[in-house]
Amino acid sequence: MDRRVVITSEAAITPIGDSKETILENLQNGGSGVNPLREDDLLSDYIHSRVYGTVDYPITYDFARKYRKTMGPVSYYACRVVQDLLKKSGLDADFISSGKLGVAFGSTHGSPSVQRNIYRTFFRDDPSETRKIGAVDYLKSMVHTTAVNITKMFHITGRVISSSTACTTSSQSIGYGYEMVKYGMQDAMICGGADEYDTTTVAVFDNLLACSTAYNDRPYLTPRPFDADRDGLVVGEGAGAVLLEEYEFARNRGANIIGEVIGFSCNNNGGDLILPNLEGIRQTIRIGLDSAGIGPEAVDFVSAHATATKMGDVIESQAIDQIYGNSPRVTALKSYMGHTMASCGVIETILTLYMMEKGFIAPTLNLESIDPRCAAINHVQQLTHAPIQTAAVQNFAFGGVNTNLIVKAYSP
Amino acid sequence: MTREELQTEIYKIFREQFEIDNPAPDDDLKDMHGFDSIDAIELLIELEKILGVSLDQETKKDAMLHIRTVNQICGYVQELMPRKDAANTDVVHR
Repeated sequence: MDRRVVITSEAAITPIGDSKETILENLQNGGSGVNPLREDDLLSDYIHSRVYGTVDYPITYDFARKYRKTMGPVSYYACRVVQDLLKKSGLDADFISSGKLGVAFGSTHGSPSVQRNIYRTFFRDDPSETRKIGAVDYLKSMVHTTAVNITKMFHITGRVISSSTACTTSSQSIGYGYEMVKYGMQDAMICGGADEYDTTTVAVFDNLLACSTAYNDRPYLTPRPFDADRDGLVVGEGAGAVLLEEYEFARNRGANIIGEVIGFSCNNNGGDLILPNLEGIRQTIRIGLDSAGIGPEAVDFVSAHATATKMGDVIESQAIDQIYGNSPRVTALKSYMGHTMASCGVIETILTLYMMEKGFIAPTLNLESIDPRCAAINHVQQLTHAPIQTAAVQNFAFGGVNTNLIVKAYSP
Repeated sequence: MTREELQTEIYKIFREQFEIDNPAPDDDLKDMHGFDSIDAIELLIELEKILGVSLDQETKKDAMLHIRTVNQICGYVQELMPRKDAANTDVVHR
């Protein structure tokens, strides 16, 4: 059974805003969500990179305590975007709890701020301090905490997938949700990812010499994907969710269809867990196109993973060039907000849908002087008014995991 | 601590920790106020603070089975108090 899968609702919390209007305004005017790293009492004094893609605007939550009590900050983000998504979707409560709607949602590692409090108790002189680990700390911090807090809050009884593959977490959520609906296991899926503010992640990349450090005094100038003067990634926070539905079901209920997922691939490099791998990326691009039943010429926009690391951007450029040539326009959306980790795939998908709707392509921010090794592809350096018919959203993760989502403008 | 003082303390915990305002003393906390097993575990931690001792696992399991109302909570704590004094220990066994 192969069914069409359409996107009917979306919501995001990003460093450049949590409404479509604000996000579009920043994409069209080059607004950056990268800011100074916040001070904390653990790592911030020792990290070389002093920048972060932060969510600095106030977010109002109206969650009752019975929901809040099992939620860490990452689940607040997750539940808030799903709340917004469901409000916009028009889905009725009976369907939401029918078992025909599932959830594919993940985070990099649950709630690190809650985990930090747990670990603190292990390093105190009095062993009885471990008794202070709260009954709900595991529920707040576990890897699938976002997915199940969503099912609890919205009474969702269908399948649960909780991918946790770092930077491909939410692109996998969308891809596996797409396959759930395409092959008839669910009629609809809420798909996405979230990550809260966390300096541990910065420390990890900092120790790997992968973080940006040269623009600490001017955060808005970094990250600089594909630029000759790029010096590494910037960690960010955020969340995003999309609602996927079987086409006939969506059409019959009069849903507002904003796009269609037509293909997905996920593979592994089968080797090194960190280094980018040209053949692995080439393969995931190819498999994604095959899955969509289209050739490379059909893709007119590529949302590149492009974290602004020295080698990652070069390898990705080579892979795009070898499969697509310089035909599709390419933008690195992380240039606006840093690398939002588990949520980057879904946020970049949502931003692509917004640009698809409005008929423009945002440029890669801070791309002033293209690295010659990245120059073979069609970089977008200025705001470009052009339609996007078919887009590829690429994401790659530690562990050698690669994904490619193919999203098409809706036509009946 | 008198029964009245204890009840005031319990109501304070319910208001501040569980956002349940002034349940009637014999309200079934689970059925009427959504007080679930996670809340009960957290309540026991608060009761340990009132008692100034740690409760052993069996005592806690027993409490989880039998405490459903504010009146029962107060009675349970009062029952444990003298034994704690008599045992003069930091751990109370039932």
